[in-house]
Amino acid sequence: MLSYLLKRLFWMVPLLVGISLISFLIMHLAPGDITSTEAGFNPKTSEESRQKLREMYNLDKPVVVQYGLWLKRISKLDFGHSFASHQKPVFWEEKDKDGNISKGMIQEALPITLLINVLSLILIIAIALPLGVISALTQNKLPDRAITIFVFIGFAIPGFWLALMLMYWTGVSHHWLPISGLHSLGSDKLPWVSQVIDTLHHLTLPILISGLTGLAGISLFVRNGMLDVLHQDYITTARAKGLPENTVVYKHALRNALLPLITIFGLSIPGLIGGSVIAESIFAIPGMGKLFYDAVLMRDFPVIMGILTIGSALTLLGNLLADLAYAWADPRVRKGVSS
Amino acid sequence: MRNIFRNPLAVAGLCIISAILLMAIFAPFIAPYDPDAIHVKTILLAPSAEHIMGTDGLGRDVWSRMLFGARISLLVGIVAVGIATIIGIFLGAIAGFYRGWVDTVIMRLVDVMLSIPTFFLILAVIAFLTPSIWNIMIVIGLTSWMGVTRLVRAEFLSLRNREFVLASQTLGAKDYRLIFKHLLPNSLTPIIVSSVLGVASAVLVESGLSFLGLGVQAPQASWGNILTDGKEYIEFAWWLSLFPGIAILITVLGYNLLGEGLRDALDPRTSKN
Repeated sequence: MLSYLLKRLFWMVPLLVGISLISFLIMHLAPGDITSTEAGFNPKTSEESRQKLREMYNLDKPVVVQYGLWLKRISKLDFGHSFASHQKPVFWEEKDKDGNISKGMIQEALPITLLINVLSLILIIAIALPLGVISALTQNKLPDRAITIFVFIGFAIPGFWLALMLMYWTGVSHHWLPISGLHSLGSDKLPWVSQVIDTLHHLTLPILISGLTGLAGISLFVRNGMLDVLHQDYITTARAKGLPENTVVYKHALRNALLPLITIFGLSIPGLIGGSVIAESIFAIPGMGKLFYDAVLMRDFPVIMGILTIGSALTLLGNLLADLAYAWADPRVRKGVSS
Repeated sequence: MRNIFRNPLAVAGLCIISAILLMAIFAPFIAPYDPDAIHVKTILLAPSAEHIMGTDGLGRDVWSRMLFGARISLLVGIVAVGIATIIGIFLGAIAGFYRGWVDTVIMRLVDVMLSIPTFFLILAVIAFLTPSIWNIMIVIGLTSWMGVTRLVRAEFLSLRNREFVLASQTLGAKDYRLIFKHLLPNSLTPIIVSSVLGVASAVLVESGLSFLGLGVQAPQASWGNILTDGKEYIEFAWWLSLFPGIAILITVLGYNLLGEGLRDALDPRTSKN
């Protein structure tokens, strides 16, 4: 297990270098240098502060040197300061000379996006699992056909359109749910329980949307996994020795069918993080997606590069955790790698 | 081939896609109005016999705009997937054929690309280019070739040492001949399936980008930006938001059905049971 972990960690190094290289090169796609007006930089900025930025990002040096210096900085987790939002630190909080703490932009946004994704994953599992199992057990019969149609529509439905429709239906015409932001006005004066309820109330729609759009893939996956497992010899053996059908299905088959789900969740992380852009901008939720979208519109390079790098690093971390979880859950993998 | 027409999914998908393609191609003849003509007198009319999908905030006929929008969505989807497929075949073929360090480098590049949240990458690149449909096609293409690369590589690896390939190689066939005459034709099935499914996701990405205002720019109509316009009027003009969404849904559904149907029909393993 330990050697497997070390090997996986070792393979992450070239990937991280590749990710940083791509994030870095994006800054150089812009015409001219990043402080020029062609690149969408605020034209009112004085020549002096532009010069300061050029020095900070070493724009007067060759590209290779710039990359090296940037890599050195981000290896210390220093992602610089935002151009657009009052010089806020991009990644983590900093103390200035007077001891005032300014919070990092990613530090504030990441927990919100993670919360939404974790809650919607729970929703997905709670619905997709039974759907997939029912579908597999009634293969090619009515329930399976109905679920399959649902799955195909789920794949095809544009998340942002569903968001708009639900927002209109539940928020605008019925006033059941709040349609933007994270808190109600003045909610900070409420006791914390009410604050939590208020936030969850605001998150209901975003979670519902990302849950509903992610549902289809997982339930199809559970269905196919179950069908695969149910046709294997050991299931026939279990039936032949007279085990009740429920034990066969839920104890013997389901457990093995669910294993690959761990990997699927690991692989779906970049999609979830990327998918947060549209949902968060529709519902005005200050998470990673909205932060990135605003940064793109403002050409806020330090924020763009920071989020690309950190978002990708999180994906790698997610995949690593998924693989470790798989090895932990499946003795075949575990024994295979430790021998 | 005959299997395809026996597969209900594939047939349904094919019908949907052909219908939409025909509507897109003949848009100038079907559209009752000029899609870009602004009329003050017909602002925000509900669907009626004259304007079957109503009119938008500038008095333009939504049905006409939807027809011309179909051209954009399909064009972007198909060209983007074309670009991705060509890159994928090229890189996958080299990796699977030559193996060794070339394979390692290409597969690491795939891993890197797969770990960057795709939509972030697309947004970041689009932001620095002028948003036009050509740039969108190129950017979607350049960020979605990884799946095809893996597929082609896997097929090549499994075919590379089969007798017919080795026989041809022994007879002195050049590498490009082995690749294009023997290996590629035998790996076409998964490539076709993944391209068809790829169009579905490219259509979704394009509409998402246009919805965010970073895709196809006004006055050119696309389903995504009709929806963005509609967002402003959602409280009193539901038709502006409803129809583009349904159009995207049906198109994506069509490509997904065709893709899954083709997979079932062309893959001997699944068509047997």
